Amino acid sequence: MKKMWIVTLTTYLRQVKSWSFVILVLSPFIMLLVSFGVGFISANSATDGNDIAVVADQPALRQAYIKVAGKDKVDTKLTTEAAAKHALKANDISGYVTLSQGIQYRAVYHGKEAMSASDKTQLTGFLSKLQTQNNVAQAKLTHRQLQQLSLQPTFKQVIQKRDGLVKTARTVSFWILVFMVYMILTTYSSITAQEIASEKGTKVMEMVFSSTTAAKYFCGKILGVLMVIGTQLLVYLIGGWISLIAAKQMNMAKPFFDQYGSLVDQVVHNLVNVNLLFLFLGVIIYTILAAFSGALVSKAEDASKAAYPAVYLSMIAFFATFPFQNNADALVVKIMSYVPFFSSYFMPLRIINQSASLMEISISLGLLILTIIGLTWYISSIYKGLILQADESHFWQRLRKGVAYK
Amino acid sequence: MLKIEHLSKRFGDLQALNDVTYNVEKGEILGLIGQNGAGKSTTFHSILSFIHYDGQITWNGQLINEQVFNQIGYLPEERSLMPKMTVEQQILYLARLKGKSAKQIKPAIDQWMQRFEVKGKKTDKIKSLSKGNQQKVQLICTLIHRPSLIILDEPFSGLDPVNVDILEQAILNAKKDGAAIIFSSHDMGNVEALCDELVMMRKGEMVLHGEIRSIREQFGKNEIFVTTDWSTVQLSQLPHVVEVTALSHQRYRLRVDDPVAGREIFQRLSNGEYMEEFSQQPPTLDEIFRLKAGDPR
Repeated sequence: MKKMWIVTLTTYLRQVKSWSFVILVLSPFIMLLVSFGVGFISANSATDGNDIAVVADQPALRQAYIKVAGKDKVDTKLTTEAAAKHALKANDISGYVTLSQGIQYRAVYHGKEAMSASDKTQLTGFLSKLQTQNNVAQAKLTHRQLQQLSLQPTFKQVIQKRDGLVKTARTVSFWILVFMVYMILTTYSSITAQEIASEKGTKVMEMVFSSTTAAKYFCGKILGVLMVIGTQLLVYLIGGWISLIAAKQMNMAKPFFDQYGSLVDQVVHNLVNVNLLFLFLGVIIYTILAAFSGALVSKAEDASKAAYPAVYLSMIAFFATFPFQNNADALVVKIMSYVPFFSSYFMPLRIINQSASLMEISISLGLLILTIIGLTWYISSIYKGLILQADESHFWQRLRKGVAYK
Repeated sequence: MLKIEHLSKRFGDLQALNDVTYNVEKGEILGLIGQNGAGKSTTFHSILSFIHYDGQITWNGQLINEQVFNQIGYLPEERSLMPKMTVEQQILYLARLKGKSAKQIKPAIDQWMQRFEVKGKKTDKIKSLSKGNQQKVQLICTLIHRPSLIILDEPFSGLDPVNVDILEQAILNAKKDGAAIIFSSHDMGNVEALCDELVMMRKGEMVLHGEIRSIREQFGKNEIFVTTDWSTVQLSQLPHVVEVTALSHQRYRLRVDDPVAGREIFQRLSNGEYMEEFSQQPPTLDEIFRLKAGDPR
């Protein structure tokens, strides 16, 4: 066990200390930071130019409208029409409103472009309210008359928000999950296959195998790669959680979370459950396959081709899920959700769509784990033969020789 | 003691090893010689359990297993290390796989690098070292855990004379420490200089085994080295002389078919007078190798 651990630790440290791993792990966070940064900068830079100025004869009227429009939309320093005109010319504001009060309330908007529909509605709404109050006062109506005149028709919408949200959450979760599985599988299949293939037929492996058994070396190597994957997932989980908390605190992201907060929570719930286990086990089984194909290349120089079998199989499973994203009850999905190498894509699809029972999930997991154990045992037993042979014969010949290496 | 008993190995139609039996005692150096394909590397691979074989191989009465691996130092025929590791990481990695702790090995690295005159620092990446220095680092990896059974596959190939001396000294030191050492070589000079015993192999068969001196003796003293003014033609007409080779001016090597003829040849050549050189010797290891291990010239 100690020797296996030495191999594991050496493999792990060599990977996590490499720049490529650091970049791989940090790139989503860097992208997130960049997009937040760009959003922040554009929001800040947009603030001044999009402001309007409010000018009125009566300061009370001006203040009342500023209160309605919101201080962040109004450049409150501009109080005279001349100053507002100058600011508009200098592009410091997008326009200015002049308000006046008499028997009739009046508002004139001066701008380079038309006032936005929402601002217009807000302004006319504000003035209508004041005008009504003024009209009522002028007409000297009784309280009852006033109440009758104030009656408005009602309109109510009842939307099945929960169902719609769940469906959207499932679709979003499905895409996030399959892409995550595919990206991680492809990355680590390549890393593992190349790592193993680069050792193929080299004499240093004879030195290694004169020190420990091939089975221990193989298991150590796989375990090392899995620790690297575990580290990446852990960083993603912790980093994702911190990013989510931080984003919820940011004013800039507030409107987004107000609108989509429950969707985000639903997606997170869909991802951080047994699906993570399927993702992890899927990566393990593909890593073992990649190690096997890495050990089958004819020479170390062919390392770059070594990952093809694992990557292609993963790609087939990945694309095979597409037609079924809204049809998780299909028979094909049910069958594939039990087939190792495919179950890591298809069972999460069923879990997200709540079409798999606990028993079905357990059977699929059990089959996946048993296949992993069986595959590890078998490849361990022929690993020495596969790695130590260094001929350039045909692929099937190499496989036959490797398997029969005695 | 390394005990190899009735070792046989077949690869398809090829009988790579056929009923090979010999021992290597502690504090003994055994040279394994033979042409390419004679079965030397297959013997090493059998000892290290890289391949399954017929027969039995034991170290101190124990079948070769992972515990025994810790006592073995093995240098493969071709040189290769892990290029992205530093010298220190590489040495530590392989030594830890031999059951040693980093604490035990770390302090010794500088000393071993000095002893092998490695040009470079222990923090240098393996790939940045010259081929010769990588070879030295690999030798350090083989020996630093002080193995009691050392297996060296063509250790002298590619080494310059200075480095051959360094390696010879390291092998002799290991012998002094009581290690059993077995190495293969094409250079009979190294074998003769270092080995207590040799095993000569030909197409998987063991054709010779024993102490070098007694092997040479068993071929008889059928070589005579003389310095004389006789011509090659005159020398070839002497009784029992089957071959005359001019070595330098007036210096010849005569091969005779009967060592007893030496006395008569001396009398004929000296004619009772002083002779500058007359020496009757057994064949060299090189000649025995050509005779037994390969096609005789």
